Amino acid sequence: MASQPQDQTMQVAAEWWARLREPGAGDDVAEQWLAWTSEDERHLQAFEQVSALAEQLGTLDQVSRQSLAKEFVRPVSAQRRWLPLAAAASIAAVMLGGAVYIGWTQHAAGITAQVYQSGIAQNRDFTLPDGTKVALGADSTLSVKYGSGERDVEVRNGEAYFEVVHDSRRPFVVMVGDVTVRDIGTAFDVRRTGERVMVAVTQGRVAIADRHANAGQHNSLEATAGQRVSYDPDASSMTVDIVTPAQATAWRSNRLEFIDEPLGVVVANLNRYAGKPLHVADPNLNALIYTGTIRTDAIDSWIEALPQVFPLQVSREAGGVVLSDARHVQR
Amino acid sequence: MSAVTLSVHVSDIERLFREQNRALIAFLQCRLNSLSDAQEVAQEAYLRMLTMDNREEVDSLRSYLFKVAGNLAIDRLRKRKVRSEFAVVQSQDEQVDEHSPDHHAVAVEQVAGVRRALKELPAKAAQAFVMHVIEGRDFSHVAQTMKLSERMVRYHVAHALAHCRARVDEKEVP
Repeated sequence: MASQPQDQTMQVAAEWWARLREPGAGDDVAEQWLAWTSEDERHLQAFEQVSALAEQLGTLDQVSRQSLAKEFVRPVSAQRRWLPLAAAASIAAVMLGGAVYIGWTQHAAGITAQVYQSGIAQNRDFTLPDGTKVALGADSTLSVKYGSGERDVEVRNGEAYFEVVHDSRRPFVVMVGDVTVRDIGTAFDVRRTGERVMVAVTQGRVAIADRHANAGQHNSLEATAGQRVSYDPDASSMTVDIVTPAQATAWRSNRLEFIDEPLGVVVANLNRYAGKPLHVADPNLNALIYTGTIRTDAIDSWIEALPQVFPLQVSREAGGVVLSDARHVQR
Repeated sequence: MSAVTLSVHVSDIERLFREQNRALIAFLQCRLNSLSDAQEVAQEAYLRMLTMDNREEVDSLRSYLFKVAGNLAIDRLRKRKVRSEFAVVQSQDEQVDEHSPDHHAVAVEQVAGVRRALKELPAKAAQAFVMHVIEGRDFSHVAQTMKLSERMVRYHVAHALAHCRARVDEKEVP
């Protein structure tokens, strides 16, 4: 192979590459770049090499892209807020005891239900008596009732991820809104937002059924790993699409991932993590469809960027942040 | 143009092609992040040059070529943006080669090398690089997310790109 351009040349070539990629780079930048390339033939060679690498890396498969982003893309605001957060940690630790409220409710059959609850902005991991692992999202409530024939769990609100210890003689059944999810050797994520339910399977299979479906109609299906089932109470229908395990459980790493979800659902879930609640003033905004990632430690910067994506206006008020229709505001 | 001036013009463009084509392709590959798109756009630019009707107004054919090509590149990026809205539907057809074992093996090797190289860099440089080069975010978007100026983002991206290139080359030339 011909001699490699020196590191210094490579550095300058990369600087030109970044400068030329600027959308506003004008004809004069191109002229200056041409002058640089004609100074020495190694200049253009180095430039071609950095361009080629950038192209290769810009067309990686989705899994590689996501894994690199996960490793290297960290919110700056979190680093800046590190000190105040550390100071707040001691207070949070004291409050945690109260945040996870574990209560006992007496049931007719003599079986007791155990209730797990998490506070705003607090994810909790715990293990159930049968070894099933649960990750409970922020501001979520879970009720667990283990009988001899069945293990019943209800997600009353919020989100939970289950890694189920399978036992065919004692099925693991999650009730969430109008839907039941029955494990067939599985790990899956369940989220309830009002009456809307989303189930994402990361491993194995589950059977999902609409509890209120009439005897005649069949509204149940089996979902396998990599599938996401959304239940919409208005349509009383279930739709299936694709989700990666990393996306389904991103919230466990403080990232909320939304794929084609109504803004109203996004806001409701964000509020489980937000210090100050977010209100939608104009109901028509709730139907806007959003796809993207929100870091729970950078919610404010996400809110600030919202008007660039949607026709809405952000105003900060004492009780929280209000989103209103930009067309209404303009009058 | 008369027959004589036309033939002069054609030979001017031919010379332009011989002398500038490599730089033009490099320029367009940088803008478009795709060598095959760069080649297509370059071809169209030469075609525009051959059929230009304002030869008298143009001082430097080379400057004009890069200007025409630059504008064509902007058009193409715009179209790409529109197309990407349909990407979800099309992705299964378009990305077939991603799943071929060869492509995958190269990617895995490459990703491991880049990951090692990025770990050697300051966190901000690595983040700006991943966001712009790998995730394809605009400088303005990266600047906003990282709360940096666009100039600093460019600096970080360039630094990381040069570093990754050097590390990859070390491996290729043992």
